[in-house]
Amino acid sequence: MKHPTRALALALTLFSAMPNLSEALAADCPLDLGHGTGLVVYTQRHMLALRPEPLLIEVGIPFTLIMNVCTKRGEPAELVAIDATMPAHKHGMNYTPKIVAGVDGRYRVEGLVFHMPGEWELVLDVRSGGEMERLTHGLVVK
Amino acid sequence: MRRLALLLAVAAAIAPVTPPVRAQQLLEWTPKEIDAVGQHGPWPPNPVRDPTNRVSGNPAAIALGRALFFDPRLSGREAACSACHLPSLGWSDGNKRGHGAVELDRRTPSLWNVGFRKWFGWDGSADSLWMQSIRPITDAREMAGSVELTARLLREDATLACGYRKAFGEAPAGSDEKLMVDAAKALAAFQETLVTPRTPFDDFRDALVRGDRAAAARYPVDAQRGLKLFIGTGNCSACHFGPTFTNGEFGDVGIPFFVRPGEVDNGRFGGIERLQASPYNLLGRFNDDPSPASSVRTRHVEKQHRNFGEFRVPGLRQVGRSGPYMHDGSVAKLEDVVTHYSEVSPDRLHSDGVPIVRALGLSAGEKGDLIAFLRSLDTDIPTLLPAPPVCP
Repeated sequence: MKHPTRALALALTLFSAMPNLSEALAADCPLDLGHGTGLVVYTQRHMLALRPEPLLIEVGIPFTLIMNVCTKRGEPAELVAIDATMPAHKHGMNYTPKIVAGVDGRYRVEGLVFHMPGEWELVLDVRSGGEMERLTHGLVVK
Repeated sequence: MRRLALLLAVAAAIAPVTPPVRAQQLLEWTPKEIDAVGQHGPWPPNPVRDPTNRVSGNPAAIALGRALFFDPRLSGREAACSACHLPSLGWSDGNKRGHGAVELDRRTPSLWNVGFRKWFGWDGSADSLWMQSIRPITDAREMAGSVELTARLLREDATLACGYRKAFGEAPAGSDEKLMVDAAKALAAFQETLVTPRTPFDDFRDALVRGDRAAAARYPVDAQRGLKLFIGTGNCSACHFGPTFTNGEFGDVGIPFFVRPGEVDNGRFGGIERLQASPYNLLGRFNDDPSPASSVRTRHVEKQHRNFGEFRVPGLRQVGRSGPYMHDGSVAKLEDVVTHYSEVSPDRLHSDGVPIVRALGLSAGEKGDLIAFLRSLDTDIPTLLPAPPVCP
């Protein structure tokens, strides 16, 4: 029941989510997460590069996020918490994801499941230099 | 030659008259709608193979599981699994609530397409079909059997013992608990084969997806309108998602919690507690899958306040033939289910945002359309084939 065309569509969506790609690439953050594709979420201070595993997020299917967390000035940054909600319905997931820090500096966030089709929002709390910041990113799951 | 002509003439005269094919209409379907309809197929999916069950898909285990399913000796009160899960009633019993040793608080769920689920029981207190199969056998309120009784049956009945050897590749030895779990795994292997056939909806779905307008137009117009409601303004497919018409999760659809005065059925909330307390969940030693992938849901599920009163979203294939409805059988007919969703009280449902379940306010025509669509998920079931020998 896999749909390669949908996987491609998602990959394109991820890249289109970077309105200012040149600015993102200029920062000292390893965007390539091993498969040459990913999603970048950033603010004035922080940058996150994410790749779902498997790449296609399907309704009801558990997935993992592989992540790099950086500051734009190259300072160490930490992923503190992650959640996902459906903003329209104001409810979250039925599962509690777990953050695992890898020896390669990447994070693995395991146990994510989007159990309904529609608009979801990733909520990511990151910390650097003693300051916390919340980043969000919307995804549409069909 | 003249004789042949005469025979043909006679044959033509007595041939049944084929009723004229009624011209149907294909409504306009947008690409977005076609994509949404396409999500409900194709059907049937590939056969179930459960990596947590080493005999899933094994023909000998399926034969053993079928024999056990119909064997009243598993029970302490001479009632087989099939006493409540009747093949002739869609593997349910047609009753409002299950009748075991006592009357139960919930309806006997149909076993159609059960192998495709991720959670089992109305409250999801089991994370595998084999785990779920243990509970009714040993529950004093249901079959009132026991681990010891099941193990003894496998060891001492020559045919079942032979069937066990064929299925598991060894004699039925070891602890009673191991044999109980293996019996449950054979039962699960059998239940995984209970897959509904294709339906009129499936023919429509496939025709629509491949752009065959003539074939798609054979699907009744009222069912097409009902399907548009289902995937559109009704938002039914938010939960009744995918080829089995369920996202496999849980929801509160406004059915009262109280099972009797002063006593509530807390649904998924208690289900998660029972799941996590059980030695038979997928985090335990009986999971045959060495990879962590199969137990990811179990590792990450945690009970939340909103789980209180949530129950499993049922699949909708054969829905027109599987009443009464809801987890407690409190809704008698399919028409009443549609009326429930048309009129459900917002006071009963708690939502801070746009509610997923809300009163749809359907007209009589819209209700009829929705029912026509739902009934297109029904089909006649072929007669159950004779059981293969457990041990030739």
